[in-house]
Amino acid sequence: MALERPIEQYESVATWAHGLREQWGGDPLAEEPEKLAGLTAFCEFDGRNPDELLAFCFLRRKETGVRFASVKRREAMAEQLRAFRTASGLSGTEGRRLTSNLLSFFIHNGIQMHTGML
Amino acid sequence: MEFKEVVGIRRSIRYFDADRPVEREKIQKILEAMRVASCAVNAHWLRAVVVQRSEIPEAILDSLKTPVTALVQELAPVHIYCYLDTGIVKRVEGKRLKELVDVGALNPSHGWTHKFVDEFVYPQILVPFSEDPAYPVAAAFDCGGAGTQGLLTAVDEGLGVCWTAFNADPAKEMMDIPDDWLPLYVMNVGYPLESREAGGQRPRPPFEELYFEGKVGRPFPRDPEVVAGLEQEKMITTPAPLPSRKQEVRDLSRTLGLPE
Repeated sequence: MALERPIEQYESVATWAHGLREQWGGDPLAEEPEKLAGLTAFCEFDGRNPDELLAFCFLRRKETGVRFASVKRREAMAEQLRAFRTASGLSGTEGRRLTSNLLSFFIHNGIQMHTGML
Repeated sequence: MEFKEVVGIRRSIRYFDADRPVEREKIQKILEAMRVASCAVNAHWLRAVVVQRSEIPEAILDSLKTPVTALVQELAPVHIYCYLDTGIVKRVEGKRLKELVDVGALNPSHGWTHKFVDEFVYPQILVPFSEDPAYPVAAAFDCGGAGTQGLLTAVDEGLGVCWTAFNADPAKEMMDIPDDWLPLYVMNVGYPLESREAGGQRPRPPFEELYFEGKVGRPFPRDPEVVAGLEQEKMITTPAPLPSRKQEVRDLSRTLGLPE
């Protein structure tokens, strides 16, 4: 089980919620339950919780210890997202919406990802 | 459109109608505008290669993208890859300056003759200039000017445009780019899905921080009456964000299946 507590309580999910509120107003995670449902399903598929998914995308420079978003890790995450979409059986608009919501989670946490990667 | 309105309505468009082709004559007009741009020593460093995005194999298109430019390159139906031809000065050996003498653009009144070009300007100025480390910067300034004329012409033709970076190595291979061409930017061209205002005129630094009179630190005074006149002429337009922008972006994101 990837999630040890309600998904809203993970720091990265709080950051996502905050980013969506800042960007669009209202409370998009509450108003569109499919966003959190999609992330929950992806966590179950992947076996990691949201904070772990996010942490995987970053590495630290050996010399300085400075954290940076790894291109290879990001590509690996995109691969996981593709596999998840395939496993979901969703295609077309539904499939795009599923993965776009997940990309939104990463983007609002500072990981630059785009639909062309999927 | 009036010239000032073209300047005022230009935006970097990031949402294109990916399936709507751009007429060939409009592409040619963009290139024609680049060609008639002002250029130091009449060298004309700018080179441009037009590529239809639909003709780029998917794997190569992916390799051309950078993380922050990927979506723009993916949506724009036409890419105009711009380069700086560093070898042009030595190849033409002052011939283009002499053309300006022949047509009366450069005249003895200002010290210009064929002899002056052959014996002084080319060997003593242009050759050392073309070997100076600062040469590409100066030449790139001219390429930017030419590119901007193309950009504004595209806007005047009702097109959307956005300069972006691109990955130079795969582009070089795809287009057989000569070794002495420096990669600049790609002009992404297409019909915009965004409204004409695209959210309003983008934030810019204050006028007084950018432009000076006489000495740095003494701002060029900005006359509010001139500003008001330019607002009338639509060069200065409503600043971003327009109230409708967030909804517009949200609608575009949903239509195109993009993250929010």
